[in-house]
Amino acid sequence: MNTSIIKIAQASNALSQFSPVFASQFHTSSALCRVVSGKYRITKKRDRPLTYEMANPPHYIAHRKSWNSWNTSSLKDGLRKSETAVEDEFIRRFINGTWHGLVCSEVIIKRQFNHIRIAAIMRRAVSPTKMYFLLGYTEELLSTWIQCPVTLELQTVDSYEDVVFKYI
Amino acid sequence: MYLIFCHKSVILNKLIKMSLFIRNYKPGVAYNAQILWRFNSTTAETVKQGEDEEEFRVLDILHKKGKLQKRVNRRADIQPDRSEKMPTDQNWGNVWPGPRSFHPSSVPLPIRQGYVPKGQAPPGKKANAELMKIPNFLHLTPPVVKSQCEALKKFCTSWPKLLNSEEAIEKNYPMEIISSDYCHASPTIRNPLARIVTLRVKLSNLKLDSRARDKFLRLVGDKYDEKTDLVTLTADRCPVRKQNMDYVNYLLTACYHESWTVEDWETDKCLEDMEYYDFDLNPSKKNLVNWYLMSNNEDNNLNDEQVKNFDVSKIPNGVEYKSAVSELFNEGESDLALNKYDTSVRKLLGLPEKKIAN
Repeated sequence: MNTSIIKIAQASNALSQFSPVFASQFHTSSALCRVVSGKYRITKKRDRPLTYEMANPPHYIAHRKSWNSWNTSSLKDGLRKSETAVEDEFIRRFINGTWHGLVCSEVIIKRQFNHIRIAAIMRRAVSPTKMYFLLGYTEELLSTWIQCPVTLELQTVDSYEDVVFKYI
Repeated sequence: MYLIFCHKSVILNKLIKMSLFIRNYKPGVAYNAQILWRFNSTTAETVKQGEDEEEFRVLDILHKKGKLQKRVNRRADIQPDRSEKMPTDQNWGNVWPGPRSFHPSSVPLPIRQGYVPKGQAPPGKKANAELMKIPNFLHLTPPVVKSQCEALKKFCTSWPKLLNSEEAIEKNYPMEIISSDYCHASPTIRNPLARIVTLRVKLSNLKLDSRARDKFLRLVGDKYDEKTDLVTLTADRCPVRKQNMDYVNYLLTACYHESWTVEDWETDKCLEDMEYYDFDLNPSKKNLVNWYLMSNNEDNNLNDEQVKNFDVSKIPNGVEYKSAVSELFNEGESDLALNKYDTSVRKLLGLPEKKIAN
């Protein structure tokens, strides 16, 4: 049995001498450099609304648009890198869920010392009373979870069309 | 069997009746019914009147009427921007007291931001997320900074008059302690790098004789910089800055006192153990002194100690010869050192200067 396997191996060895395809164990192809994340496709009717943030793909950060998270963790040798990233993601999800269907822009999170300032553009689709409630609710809950003072700095617009930069 | 089935159907009937009752029952049903009835009657009447006025009903194939009936909900109670009502002589510090994201209705400036193709205007300040992203200094306008400095002035003391120059500071405070504080945008104020403490002191400020200085330099090793004459001791092994500071102070104290202690074995150091060429200890000086005394017909029966203490400056061109020999041994052979040695020997022995054949 063993000898037969060796024989097969030898045979394949002999084969590899003639054909380079058999010689290599894995095959490679040229890399497909197709970046699609953060980019939007043009629609047929050219009616897809894009905000300024969406209109500029990620490689324009620091050229045409700036970051959505401002903190010192992302600097070189910054502390609490992972914690900050996770907290930011949590805040974004919480805001998008709490202010459901109202958030018209990206949630901008700025940190100064232990103070977290969250800025966003909201739609005026609910009554001011509800908005004030949501504001206090968000600040209170987030500051309880993250154990930091949290401030919401909102700007309101009439409708989503106010933040639309262009249609593609 | 039949009986049981019959019984069941009765129960079912009852159940259905009850559920119907529950579905229709609402508290205050009689009142509601009345209102409903009245409402129905009025609407019916108005519709009737409308039908009477219009002669023909228009066929609405594209349902344009329904589209038009879509009302856009515009709130009427939205206040105009705060910036429109601002007086020109207001105190801006009260409007924008602290760091805050940009808000278009509070800032009476026609700001625009954003990249657009040539010929277009950048997006305005309203609903502009880019303006909200960038940190602004609207809370730090020059008048506000000035007023804040004025408010802080009472907590400050004036700078001591005698410490008016770098030299005076260096003289009165020869030791320098360097440590760093770090600011973060995170809930913790701790940074492990803040524990590192560096102590700097000029070696000339320490009271050391030549032997102690030599020993001190051997103890501190590469922590001494010859160019600046500074000894730099850095400690980062302890977790807290206070401990590192204590450790650095301990290091300096220990090195200083250790360099002053003389061990028994230090006296055993002989000429072969010298790490540099000392002219006074070497036979070269003895030869020079003997030659000088002989050439002056003086008594040359000096012992080693006398030779060692003999002042070379008594000999004409002796100092130059000494420095040339020392340099040759200490810094190694080079054209410059050899030339210097050549000229000094010629001067010492009174030989003519070297003629360079061109």
